[in-house]
Parts: sequence; C-alpha cells; structure tokens
Amino acid sequence: MVWFITGASHGLGLEMVHLLVARGERVLASGRRAVTELPADFPDCAYHACDLADPNAVARLRDWAAAHGPLRATVLNAGAGHFRPLTQETAQDIDTVLAINLNANITLAHGLRAVLSGGRLGLIGSVAHKGAAGMPVYSASKAALDGFGRALAEEWRGDVRVRVLHPGPVATGMAERAGRKPDFADRLFLPPRITAAALLRALDAPRGADRQTVSFLRVGMHRLLRGTT
Amino acid sequence: MKVLIIGGASGLGAALVADCTMRGDDVHVIDIAAPVEANWHRHDMSSADPAAWDATGDWLATHGPFDLVVLSAGISATGEFEAIPLPDHQRVASTNLTGPIRLTHLLVAGGFLRPGGRLVFVASLSCFTGYPGAASYAASKDGLAGFARALRPTMRKHGIAIQLACPGPMDTPHAARYAPKGASPKGRMAPEQVAHAILAAPARRFAIIPGAGPKLAAVLGRIAPQTMTRLMGRILFSKLR
Repeated sequence: MVWFITGASHGLGLEMVHLLVARGERVLASGRRAVTELPADFPDCAYHACDLADPNAVARLRDWAAAHGPLRATVLNAGAGHFRPLTQETAQDIDTVLAINLNANITLAHGLRAVLSGGRLGLIGSVAHKGAAGMPVYSASKAALDGFGRALAEEWRGDVRVRVLHPGPVATGMAERAGRKPDFADRLFLPPRITAAALLRALDAPRGADRQTVSFLRVGMHRLLRGTT
Repeated sequence: MKVLIIGGASGLGAALVADCTMRGDDVHVIDIAAPVEANWHRHDMSSADPAAWDATGDWLATHGPFDLVVLSAGISATGEFEAIPLPDHQRVASTNLTGPIRLTHLLVAGGFLRPGGRLVFVASLSCFTGYPGAASYAASKDGLAGFARALRPTMRKHGIAIQLACPGPMDTPHAARYAPKGASPKGRMAPEQVAHAILAAPARRFAIIPGAGPKLAAVLGRIAPQTMTRLMGRILFSKLR
C-alpha cells in the first residue's frame, strides 16, 4: 500500500517522506522542485515534479497518483504564502496562493476519492487558519482548507478517514521565504523532523478529532514520549 | 452615505439595495446581472481575466470611496463532493473566495473605503456548524471568515470596521437552488430580515448572526464543533446524497 505526499521537496513534506521511507513504506512524492534539484539525501522513492498553481499540472499529478493506487494514505501538505499585509499583495500572488493551498487540494481530493477507499486523507493546514494579522491571504486559504476538511471528514466517514492537521510555526525556512524577517521568535519555532513525526502519528491514530492542532504542546509531548520518530 | 453591494441584483444583495435606497443612500452595485434600481457595474467575481479586474478597479476609483461595502455575491454546489463535477467546485471557490479577496485587495490598496466605514463579508452559518454536502462552499465561506479575522486588526487602525455576516438558510433563489429536493422553505429567514440585521449591526461587532435559531446553532457549533457537523451530516447530507 502506498503513501502519496505533496510538498515533498521541502520542509515538513520532505521530513515526512524521510520518516516513511525509513519505516519501509512505499511513497509517491511530489514537490515543486525538479528531480535534478532535489537534495542529495532525498529518499529512494517515486517522485513527480508539479507546479500546483497550474491546474493542468495538478490534473497530471492526480492521474499519476491515481494510477499507482490504491493509496493507503494521502497527505496534501504543499502550501505557499507571503507574510505581508493586503496592501502589499499582488493580484497574481493572491491567485497563486489560493490555487496552491485550496484549488489544487480540491482537485486532488476529488480525483483520488476512488483510490483512497479504506485509507486516510491528511490535509495540512496551519494555526494561521484562525486569522493571522500579518498574512490575511494565507490565513484565508488555510481557513478554507479547514472548512473543506471539516465537511469532507463527515461525508467520507466510515470509508476514508479525513483529518485536518494544523501545525504551529515550523523552522522550515517557509517563514523567511514568505518574507518574514528572522527574529528572536524563530528560535522558538518547531523542529521540522519531530513536527513531521507528530503529524504522521496524528494521522495514523485510530481515534482523534477531525480537526487537530499540532503545535508546541503536541510536538513537545511527542518528543518526550517517542523522540524523533 | 455611499454604499456598494456586490451581488446586489438578487437575494440578500437585492434586499440590501432596497433597504439602502429606501433610507436615501447613494447605492452602487457590482453583479453579473442588472439590479432593480442602482448605478451598477457588470463583473463576474469568478473572472480570471486581468482586463475585467482592471475595469472594475477603474470603476471603483470613479465611484468610491464608500462608507459601506457588503460582499454578498455567492454560489454553491451541493451533493456528494465526488459526485459534483470538478469545474463546479472550482467556480464556487473562485466566486466565493478568490473573487472577494481580489475585490477587497482593490478596495484596500486603492483607498476606496472611507475611514469610519464598514466592510461586511457575507459568509454563512456553516462557519460555525460545518456543511457536509457542500464541501467547496463550506471551504469558501470559512476562507472568508479567516480572511476577515486576519484583516480586522489592521483595518481597525485605519478606522474601518471588518464584519462577518453568518446568516442561516434564507428564503432566496440561492437557497431554493441548493437545498435538498422537496425541502420545505419553512423556517428559512426572509432576506429582508437579514439585510436589516446587517445594516443595523453596530460597527464594533464582528460576527453578525441574524435570528434566534441561527444564534443558537452558532453557540452549539462553538461548544461542540464536531458534534454539530455530525448532526448536519445526519439531517442534511443524508438528504443531499
């Protein structure tokens, strides 16, 4: 049985792939980087490069993943965002962030429903879904993902286990890429490997709420009880 | 007072236009169809055409700044998520979420909201209850809620109130289109009543939830979100599938 993970060329997605391959799972990975640009220690698994802002590319990714089904689990983890007020946004970036964080996930969930039967679907949100003043467009996209997963979890209950997992701020460099200046707060950010492990565990657990926050408390508990796996 | 209603040609938007016109406001409308009586601009909120958005920006610059803006345009798609054609889901997302964010971006970056004014997003009671059977719609409305919450502190510094209207089912063409087949319109609220609640709401209030029933549902949804969504699944989704 196969795992399918988006956003796997960076950050949390990359850490999840490392963990799963180390566990002996078969993984289908997708990310924005081309195969040639992947880190040298990228795990040994199938990889499909995809620009999730392009609907045609998303459709090709969906078909690629569906052809490898049935899937044990799908983790729609890829996300993009900018740390800036609305006045500094551009129309193009608004479209792109929503296309990646919402529209692409709608397309993938829609197209993979059949091969997910009996499996599980994890949607990686963000604690910003509650509305973070510094990033209104990102907040909107993650709040939308939360509402999407909330509805889908109920619709698919009994067949596909759907969970929306909201990580806190993780030290993946996404915040810097998003335009946030590093400051003292960055030293408090969550470590990527353990956060990825806590997210996988939250998705695997037979019991638990449809929507969960996986931030400092959960990740800290995970480190105490299980270390980095 | 200068008012802009997005989606002012029908349903709740039309009720807002009627109410504002009656009290003597200078009312402007953006919609895909002509409103009954107001200066209007044709624009499809789901548009991906940069020229159409530029034209809308120019129109806002000519007619703004506004004291009250209500984003009321919206569509839905109901049924089993996977049974609904994918383009329908994508149109819901762009009409209800991407479009309103793009329009808000034009309003805020252009300075077309007057200090002391209000910007009201029309979301849905589904923000509190969840909405199995309308996954893309629920996504779009929760997205608006997250957007409004994030925008609020910044806009307050400029003297502009951001508000989120969360009406329950209304007696509008929209509701009739997306409700389960044969569902009784009994218990649906008149759009005039919701329009009145939106216009009468004090600027310091964030969430506007018209009616006692929807208020109770919102409280229960806040206390026990998952139980409320499961209840929605039992009473609504089972009839939509």
